[in-house]
Amino acid sequence: MREFNVLVVDDEEEFRELTAKRLEKRGLKVKTAESGEKALEILEHSHTDVVLLDVKMPGIDGIETLRRIRAMKPLVEVVLLTGHASVDSGIEGMKLGAFDYLMKPIDLEPLLEKLSDANEKKRLHQAKIEQAEIRRNMSMPS
Amino acid sequence: MEVDNYRKIRLRLTTIFVVLITAPLAILVVMTTNSLRETAIEKIEVSLARLIEHKMDVVSLFLKEKEDLLHMMVGMYPISYLGRQENLDDLFIAVNKTGSIVDLHVIDSSGRQLAYTGPYASSLEGKNYYDAPWFQHVLIKGSHVSDVFLGFRNVPHFVVAVADPLKTYILRATINSEQFNKLLLSTQIGPHGDSFIVNRDGRLQTPSRAGITELSDEDRLLLAPHEGTAVFQRQEEIVPKTQELGQVDLPGATAIVKRQESVVATRWVKDGEWCIIVKALIEDSLDPFYALRNKIIMVIVITSAIFLTLALLFTNYLLRRIAEEDRQRAELGHQMMQMEKMATVGRLAAGIAHEINNPLQMITSQAGWIGELLPEEDRLQVRNIAEYEKAVEQIKHHVRRAGTITHRLLGFSRKISTEQQNVDINELMEETVSFIEREAQYNNVTIVRNYSPSLTTTMTDGPQLQQVFLNLINNAIDEIGPGGVIELTTAMEKEKSIRIDIADNGHGIKPENLKKIFDPFFTTKAPGKGTGLGLYISYDIVKKLGGTISVANRNSGGAVFTIVLPVIDHG
Ligand SMILES: [Mg+2]
Repeated sequence: MREFNVLVVDDEEEFRELTAKRLEKRGLKVKTAESGEKALEILEHSHTDVVLLDVKMPGIDGIETLRRIRAMKPLVEVVLLTGHASVDSGIEGMKLGAFDYLMKPIDLEPLLEKLSDANEKKRLHQAKIEQAEIRRNMSMPS
Repeated sequence: MEVDNYRKIRLRLTTIFVVLITAPLAILVVMTTNSLRETAIEKIEVSLARLIEHKMDVVSLFLKEKEDLLHMMVGMYPISYLGRQENLDDLFIAVNKTGSIVDLHVIDSSGRQLAYTGPYASSLEGKNYYDAPWFQHVLIKGSHVSDVFLGFRNVPHFVVAVADPLKTYILRATINSEQFNKLLLSTQIGPHGDSFIVNRDGRLQTPSRAGITELSDEDRLLLAPHEGTAVFQRQEEIVPKTQELGQVDLPGATAIVKRQESVVATRWVKDGEWCIIVKALIEDSLDPFYALRNKIIMVIVITSAIFLTLALLFTNYLLRRIAEEDRQRAELGHQMMQMEKMATVGRLAAGIAHEINNPLQMITSQAGWIGELLPEEDRLQVRNIAEYEKAVEQIKHHVRRAGTITHRLLGFSRKISTEQQNVDINELMEETVSFIEREAQYNNVTIVRNYSPSLTTTMTDGPQLQQVFLNLINNAIDEIGPGGVIELTTAMEKEKSIRIDIADNGHGIKPENLKKIFDPFFTTKAPGKGTGLGLYISYDIVKKLGGTISVANRNSGGAVFTIVLPVIDHG
């Protein structure tokens, strides 16, 4: 498995810590944030590939956080995870550009798989952008 | 509404109608009949006044005729002529053609009888009348008419005496009054009326028609001034009734007294010496009134009956309408309640599911963490490591089970997605059957298809509808057991909707459960076998698709679930 950076955002500390521990054990680099604001702050200052984002949180909720992440770091992929499976928020999340929408409770394996897929997408996306930049640089020598 | 209430309304309406219809009519009857009776009585009064006038004429004429006859004789013959017996005999034969004169006396002014012709000659021979009151009366007034007395052979008589103009002698005649009795009695005053003449003392001068021989105390009062109505006939008109005189005893007028059951008219004749009394029983004259009254009552009774019948029919109609509306309202109310209940439970379920999903996540995460760490343990030191691994797997398995339930709960609380497709219900049903046909065969259950070939497609949510079909068919398989038959029927209903029947031939549903069967968490399955959510979710889905789902027991046994879906065109 490719190593990549994951940011786990959830208002429940136990979930944050445990998920971080288990993902790190699988070789990922994990940071945690207990709120949307904190997540945005971390994103600004560090490299992140995929965000695992809780939908229902105090303060700004997951959907709003997602919107700001997309505005700030369009390349970062977001996987929504919630206990409240309202299709509405799922559909809205997808419209806003979330990679996927998962429901608690979920085992680690499928979660890891989803995160990897997201990372893969991000990587491909990034590669495309780099190629495009190379093409642009080649056609327009400075 | 209670049946009792309908009865109350019916009673109240009926009472109102009866009162409204019969009261005015009853008042009309009473008023009409009263005034009719009054009119009838007035008529009696008028005819009595006429009658008594006629009688008075008869009596006066009769008396005057006799008086005139005697006057004529004393004027024609001097005492020297009539004082001789043979001349008087001749005259008697000449004037008494009718036989009403019984005898004739010729008496000189000193009271001595000069001649007599009649049956009592011997007993009256030489009698002197000078001291008799009537004799003096004649000498003073010139004439006298006596009261009636019973004379020879009990025949009523009265005496008429006149003096010649010079008062030298008096001619006296005894008159048989039977003739004028006959005249008096011949008048029409009804079968129970009476008429007779009395003198001032109240003694009867003529026989009473009703056969009385003495005046009653009540009638005796009529001879004195008394309360009543005075009628002056001579003026050819009746004094209006408003002019009721307190005391009527006028010589020139007829006095009318109205009693409870009769009307009595009195009239003085013969210079106030005799009084004619005529009585008419009101009842006798009321026959035409009764006939008219009965006719009016009959008309009114028939009218009332017609109106009452109409009113009752109207009441019935009204009550049927009320009952129908009540029933519809109750049904609507029940549906609203059901919908509200569902919505509430839906929200509740979503909330609970969310609260449970988070701890479930922690359980599965923690168990998973243990599972990840276990391989790092020294297998020799941790003797039950295999058991732990197995337990971790079990925990994860049960969390998944719980998760399935919460996801399902959340599933029906969500809205219908806008992604609707054109669905062929027959195809959808067939696809559904293909999922479970193997299980049906395993349970030895036969599935019979009665698909309508003319079924149109409709815009709906296929996967959700399929979940409903699956639910209902699965329930049916569980219910009937081996050897059962499930019938799947589709049909068009009035071009506007599609009807889907899923019927089984099992034991049916207990009547008390029919209403609760779509309630959340209601189940008849053994504990742990059913969540009680299947039918609830089916209900929810069908409702959101704009259709209805209902259940009934079949006459042939078993239950039938009916889904009616609207046909929605591509839009
Ligand atoms: Mg949360």
